[in-house]
Amino acid sequence: MADKNQYRYLTKTGLKSLINGLMKDRVVYGAVKKDGFPAFGRITRFEDLELSQTPTHLSAKEFFFPQRECLLKFDIPTGAHEPVVASQGQAVIGLHPCDIHALNLMDKVFAHGTSDANYLTRRADTVIIGAECFPDEYCFCSSVETMNANAGFDIFLHEIKSGFLTHTGTDAGRHLLGKLTKTVKASASRIKELDRLKKKKEGAFKTRLNAPAKDLPGIYAQSSDSPVWGKIGAICYGCGSCNNVCPTCCCFDVKDEVGANLKDGLRVRVWDGCTLEDFAKVAGGHNFRKTRAERLRHRFNRKFRYLTDKFNALFCVGCGRCSRACLVKINIAQVTNELIAESTITKNR
Amino acid sequence: MNSLLNQQSPKTDNLVSPYLPSAATVERVTKLTEKERLFTVTPLAAIGGLPVSFDPGQFFMCGLPGYGEAPFSVASMPVNSHINGSPKQSFDLCIRAVGNLSNAMHRIKKGDRVYLRGPFGRGFKTDELKGKDLLFIAGGIGIVPMRSFIKSVAGKDSYGKLTLICGAKTPEEILFQGEMDEWKDMGMDVRLTIDKRHPGWKGNVGVVTTLISSLKLKPDKTVAAIIGPPVMYKFVALALRKKLIKDASMLVSLERRMKCGFGKCGHCQINSSYVCQDGPVYRLTDLAGLPEAF
Repeated sequence: MADKNQYRYLTKTGLKSLINGLMKDRVVYGAVKKDGFPAFGRITRFEDLELSQTPTHLSAKEFFFPQRECLLKFDIPTGAHEPVVASQGQAVIGLHPCDIHALNLMDKVFAHGTSDANYLTRRADTVIIGAECFPDEYCFCSSVETMNANAGFDIFLHEIKSGFLTHTGTDAGRHLLGKLTKTVKASASRIKELDRLKKKKEGAFKTRLNAPAKDLPGIYAQSSDSPVWGKIGAICYGCGSCNNVCPTCCCFDVKDEVGANLKDGLRVRVWDGCTLEDFAKVAGGHNFRKTRAERLRHRFNRKFRYLTDKFNALFCVGCGRCSRACLVKINIAQVTNELIAESTITKNR
Repeated sequence: MNSLLNQQSPKTDNLVSPYLPSAATVERVTKLTEKERLFTVTPLAAIGGLPVSFDPGQFFMCGLPGYGEAPFSVASMPVNSHINGSPKQSFDLCIRAVGNLSNAMHRIKKGDRVYLRGPFGRGFKTDELKGKDLLFIAGGIGIVPMRSFIKSVAGKDSYGKLTLICGAKTPEEILFQGEMDEWKDMGMDVRLTIDKRHPGWKGNVGVVTTLISSLKLKPDKTVAAIIGPPVMYKFVALALRKKLIKDASMLVSLERRMKCGFGKCGHCQINSSYVCQDGPVYRLTDLAGLPEAF
């Protein structure tokens, strides 16, 4: 939570100045409506921006880790390989606290050990403007400690009746606010309005996990043989939608695309998904996770257990996107609650 | 624009693409079987700015432009030589033709180039095994990375008794049989087996575990290295436990799909472990919490 003294009041016109200022020297993406649904898209006019209370269908990961990106160019006759690390000055507006937490996790993954220049360069060239949200029936960020973001953004917007209360997470954010628009110190009544909104948000969650976040890795560690995996494995289509929409799923495939002249081409990386059948299949045909049940167990464990030791954080940020997108209504919170119910960790409490 | 860099994002100074490979010249192509060829390669320049140096069991991502990359275990130790007066290092990659890239590799001739990144992963730490009796158990093309291990210890006084158990489906598919005679001359006990009876084969018939029961092993002094198809590990571990070999004295090398080599792409993950970083060589005790290992 930001220090109360840090809040600055920004009018709606003031936000327009900020966005217009950003558009002068950056490519700006933000929350928009696509076919009536909240999504991220390119913003060329301030009026395009439609901050959403509920999560966008796809997360903002595509602006840092595009669905398809070139890693290098090659020339077959000479064997020359030229690395491609492309980025543009950009801004992304309207990330919710869960999205910002997810971005912080992606930062850790791509900076761990050998740094991924492609992701990290793009990340460094991006201004992040967060925005407050309100849960729908799938959201459960209050159960995984991601309801508020304290870091990972430059500017954060809390919408109130008359405009916005802002706070900043970086010097760059403070600099941008000062340079591109005008803010005033937030009045006590406006801060009270914000407190009321926050309380309303906290009470609005219809989905909650029935165990504290710190117990979840242990609960998942006990769940390898749970009947839950067979149950959801039997209905899963293996379509990979959950991987696509997840803001922390960042596994990828790398493949070569040869040009029509058959001489040059690109080595590209594209999103891959651990719930897809071929993900763990090796040359020769052996598949290390043959069944959908095994693949779902892997994905769920990656969110709640496998990466927690290395990165000291859950990799599920409670956005509920995978549950919303699932064609057969596999719900990550429901599944987790079933595992919690089976676990001795909760029974011993 | 740089003055506005998000101060919380990780440092991006001097970042270079980890996906850029280095060229290597193919010095020699040796046909081992219809499916397997051995490529002796010499990197044109130091890979990643370092001289070629690796432990047996480590792997390189090897690729051809237009066909992509795949992980291949090294089949030898680095060999120093002089070509036109300048020092060069070469090593062997053994490639079975099973997919687009490996079939394209089989069309490669002497003097052609391949493109490498690596070495990656953790291999066999030969220094830590000095004084031990070493038991090598290889199934199928598991002998490929094992050859690198064997070549780095065979004939050296600092190791105890060396024993190789090697199995394949048919006699033709036992790779490096000529070299095995040299290893025997260096004092190694070499025992071969094939899966099913075969005309002209006078040796053992059966899976590799059938050769373990007759071995005389010193449990406290023996370290076993196991490389083979996924189904093999559990049964070999069971057979070795019967010979009182502890799990901590069993080293296994695991195969997985890989796209990056440095813990990003997610393909090689076994439970919480990334094979490209924590493996491919694991102590069996390190796999206790990884039920998906085999």
